Amino acid sequence: MHNHRHSLECILPEHMLEQIATKGSDAQKQMAMDNINVVYQLRAERAMRASLADLFAPTMPRAADGGKERIVYDVKRGTSLPGAAVRREGDPASADAAVNEAYDGSGITYDLYKEVYGRNSINNNAMRLDSSVHYRTGYDNAFWDGKQMVYGDGDENLPAEDRLFNRFTIAIDIIGHELTHGVTQFEAKLVYSQQPGALNEHMSDVFGSLVKQYQSRQTAAEADWIIGAGLFTPNVNGVGIRTMKAPGSAYDDPVIGKDPQPAHMKDYVNTASDNGGVHINSGIPNHAFYRAAMEIGGYAWEKAGMVWYATLRDKLGENSNFQQCADLTHQTAGELFGSGSLEQQAVKNGWAGVGITIGGETPEPKGCLEATLRFIGAAPS
Amino acid sequence: MDVERIKFERTGGFAGIRLAADFDVSDLPDDLSQTLRELLDALDFPELPAKLTGGELIPDSFTYSITVEAGKWHHTVITGDAPEDEKMQELLELLNRLARKKIKRH
Ligand SMILES: [Zn+2]
Ligand SMILES: [Zn+2]
Repeated sequence: MHNHRHSLECILPEHMLEQIATKGSDAQKQMAMDNINVVYQLRAERAMRASLADLFAPTMPRAADGGKERIVYDVKRGTSLPGAAVRREGDPASADAAVNEAYDGSGITYDLYKEVYGRNSINNNAMRLDSSVHYRTGYDNAFWDGKQMVYGDGDENLPAEDRLFNRFTIAIDIIGHELTHGVTQFEAKLVYSQQPGALNEHMSDVFGSLVKQYQSRQTAAEADWIIGAGLFTPNVNGVGIRTMKAPGSAYDDPVIGKDPQPAHMKDYVNTASDNGGVHINSGIPNHAFYRAAMEIGGYAWEKAGMVWYATLRDKLGENSNFQQCADLTHQTAGELFGSGSLEQQAVKNGWAGVGITIGGETPEPKGCLEATLRFIGAAPS
Repeated sequence: MDVERIKFERTGGFAGIRLAADFDVSDLPDDLSQTLRELLDALDFPELPAKLTGGELIPDSFTYSITVEAGKWHHTVITGDAPEDEKMQELLELLNRLARKKIKRH
């Protein structure tokens, strides 16, 4: 009978669900049970993924010479990964733009991590960089599947006047973004849900943007800080998918709507969709990074990037939230550049600009408690 | 199952842009509504669990929600981008296509 899900606008804290499940009315109990099941299921999936990552670890393909090795595969619009190898390390350019973009983009991403941060590939152990292009048909997406990058061609199957997305290899920061999901998988292992998930997204946007800046040797002031510039076709009114400089203003379009990213904690979005808004609330730490990098000046990958990289590698854990990320980047900046240094000050100011005080208390996201109280009929009138 | 309405939602993905559509099955061309009914029957949709596993926690993958309504009856299934069942993959592809058609520019 009741195997559909009664969803709330937010994921309720477990202790509250348990309370409702034992003391609520029948309907309330059912709602709580549905939600508890989802929570437990998510937890089981996480545990499974963690063990999968461990399982994969020894079998991750390793670069033949222990350094940079790339292979680009063509899935030929199918689903079985990785597909046929079409360009290997050192091969001449292909006639296929997507193949070359995946090859060049993963190469520059490797270079940034190696030359600036001293990291040898995704796992810091010379993991081979595998990319598959032409995944499915009409696939408006790119993702990291735990072992490799996968790119769709956008709306290539629609008439030109209906297309919204170009191929997903078109912007180099998307490639840096996907590879950084791999780095996070091996380091902080941030759970892909709620604030830890938004931090996972944030780290991918930071290093995606830095890969693009590094490629063009742009200073923080020269960079556009746009994620996915060129991904939209001219049919869409927008400059890209996200902007770290002014979250919420990347696009405003009659068909796809408006960029939903907040730039400040007061606009934090409580939602159950998109794993708790991981691609939405990442706007907050993204903007903090932008502000810190602008205050420090020069090439953002050198100092701000180093602070964020060391924090991702050594300090963040799978359940870290925004407040902890702020505190830990501040601590790392002190270790790298000195306590009270201009760099550490800039990190503090960057977070302050989005409503997060170093050493402060994380405010309970608004809305969650209210929604619960309203649901059980106990909301103050 | 005499399906009347289908609500479809796709969230997540690298772009984080929601794609949603609400169809009256009787408004669809006959061949499409036929295909849709066949897929739902083949999947035994009313008996599917509320949440199917299949790649939800893969960074940037899509999450789908499908609600089927018939009179007062409704059932919602949430699934990731890589459900094991090929029929479910076909259903997702079809609903994606229909949703994109609905939001096409004029
Ligand atoms: Zn109900
Ligand atoms: Zn991502």
